[in-house]
Amino acid sequence: MPDHKEWYKLDLSAIVYPTLQRRDFSSTYRLSVLLKEEVDPDLLQQAVDVTLPRFPTYKAAIRKGLFWRYLEPNDRPGPFVTPDVKNPCQPMSFKANNRYLLRVYYYHNRISLEAHHSLGDGTGGMCVLMTMTAEYLRLLGHTEIQNGGFVLDVNEKPDPEELEDAYMRYANSKICPPRPGEKTYRIRGTKEPFYTLNIIDGIMSTSEVAAVSKRYQCSITEYFNAVLLYALLKKQAKDKRFHVKPVRIAMPVNLRRFFPSKTLRNFITMIYPGVDPRLGEYTFEEIVAQVHHYMRYYVNDKFLRADITTNARTQSHPLIRVVPLFLKDFVVRQFYTKVQDRNSSAGLTNMGALNVHESMRPYIERIDICMGQPFSSRTNCAIISFQDVLTVNFASSIVEADVERYFFRKLVKDGIHVKIESNREIPEI
Amino acid sequence: MSYCVNCGVELDASAKNCPLCNTPVINPKEIKKDNVIPPFPKEKVQVEEIQRADFGWLVSMVCLATAVTCGVLNWLAFRQNLWSLAVIGACVTLWVMLVPAVIYPKLPIYLFILLDGAALTLYLYLIARMVESYEWLWGLGIPLVACSTFVAELFALAIRQFPRGILARGLYLITAIAILCVGYEIIIDLFRDVSVGLSWSAVVLTICVIIDIAIITTLSRRRLRNEVRRRLHF
Repeated sequence: MPDHKEWYKLDLSAIVYPTLQRRDFSSTYRLSVLLKEEVDPDLLQQAVDVTLPRFPTYKAAIRKGLFWRYLEPNDRPGPFVTPDVKNPCQPMSFKANNRYLLRVYYYHNRISLEAHHSLGDGTGGMCVLMTMTAEYLRLLGHTEIQNGGFVLDVNEKPDPEELEDAYMRYANSKICPPRPGEKTYRIRGTKEPFYTLNIIDGIMSTSEVAAVSKRYQCSITEYFNAVLLYALLKKQAKDKRFHVKPVRIAMPVNLRRFFPSKTLRNFITMIYPGVDPRLGEYTFEEIVAQVHHYMRYYVNDKFLRADITTNARTQSHPLIRVVPLFLKDFVVRQFYTKVQDRNSSAGLTNMGALNVHESMRPYIERIDICMGQPFSSRTNCAIISFQDVLTVNFASSIVEADVERYFFRKLVKDGIHVKIESNREIPEI
Repeated sequence: MSYCVNCGVELDASAKNCPLCNTPVINPKEIKKDNVIPPFPKEKVQVEEIQRADFGWLVSMVCLATAVTCGVLNWLAFRQNLWSLAVIGACVTLWVMLVPAVIYPKLPIYLFILLDGAALTLYLYLIARMVESYEWLWGLGIPLVACSTFVAELFALAIRQFPRGILARGLYLITAIAILCVGYEIIIDLFRDVSVGLSWSAVVLTICVIIDIAIITTLSRRRLRNEVRRRLHF
């Protein structure tokens, strides 16, 4: 018996991402860890080589079958550590980079991992990054670092549960609720040229944000959701549109919180908190209340189970399964472009507070996350915190930074100290 | 440390403008910023090109093997005429059309079109050599290939340099077809040694001009253009 399977079916979410692949778009995300000392690329390469075999679904290449795509173990050399670039999350061709769907970068004290969403979600990617970082620190001589949290033991064999499609285990609801399909406000902006991704990072104190959220009687995620909705409403008002549209955020929910699973592949589903300005003008407190109650109502195992059942039933329908892949690709792409993408005005993800073993904490300064290139001209917001440092990252392919400006100005107005870092090229005045 | 006077956010030490509102950072106490490490590198990267050398190598080998084996067969076994020249010419043409475009995709398209024209000319020459008749080659074959290459270059230039909407592309294509047909008829008439005049190509030209006028009218009127887009969207 071989150690690992010879191929893996794509999980329920991963099926969609390759169909959206364009010459100028891939569903990639980036996770970064900022250490307290400069990164040694040679040792980092050794760490990558030691770590990756522990994650067989990440050391993989994507292939086309007649009806579905699948993952196949990739034993080619790589992925190779390279100096970081100004424009992260660039499209990832399935045939380039020795067929790896991963990139590892370094820049001064920062290690970054970019992964295609077909391989797994942020939690899986974070396990790869933190295990790789722990291994790198051990190679540097910090042998006291222990496994735990997101750091897995590179010497042990992968648990079969880590490689499973966890959706199928929990897709057993008796009803399938319909998917939301209302068109929402879409940001209009000047498209940046290809190979440009504008990043704005806002760095702040977790305790300050927690105190402000407490003042509004909501969680940190709800607070950031409300601030983003507030920024989008302001942007829509500035656009002076004749027809005002609802403003909604696409937010992935980590299903591991509700359904126990060790899977390192995708295990998320989307929820869409929002407000409808056609009903009247919302104050910020009202937006917070709206988001808070939406979350309380929808984010529970009952609704989430029903949601994943809807998706699973579609995939397992016999008539859909026999359709050739190129037809599925066409239909899914059309559905995503015409319905799913128009269903939300922006994306927001909160990975929450990252936990690593206390032996590793002294070597880490900060952790960053970037949701990657948006499918259409909008902005994606990603949040992560490590100890008392919280990072809010905006990634967009448009020139205007109106939403980001309204967002951070609101945080400042609420008394949060924000430090901004960006890769934007602004012509000097 | 500097703060944006408009947004109230602290800015990175390397920032020259606020990334949110573009306000310049002027801090008289921190003028020198050359030694500060920016949060992101300066170098941009482009997506890695897919290595297609293997495919190019395979096509080259297949073409070479076919040409050589046919040449040897013609030389040793079936010696009635030089039939292998047709096969060798086809292999060369196929190789020129496929391999440079696959291995060097960044070369300008104008060069590819020229190479394709040259390969077709060579193919026609080999056929002329095979049938041992050169009159049609100089009078008809080479002028037709030259005319087609010229029109293809013009079409590529229009696609690259001018608006690229679906209607605009249609306009370029129809115009190219019209020019091509007129050119072909003139060349054929010259070859046949009859008086040069437009007959069948005039019909094509008229249809193309009508379609071109319709497209130009649609393109110039925004409302009409939107209506066409709305009705034809898929």
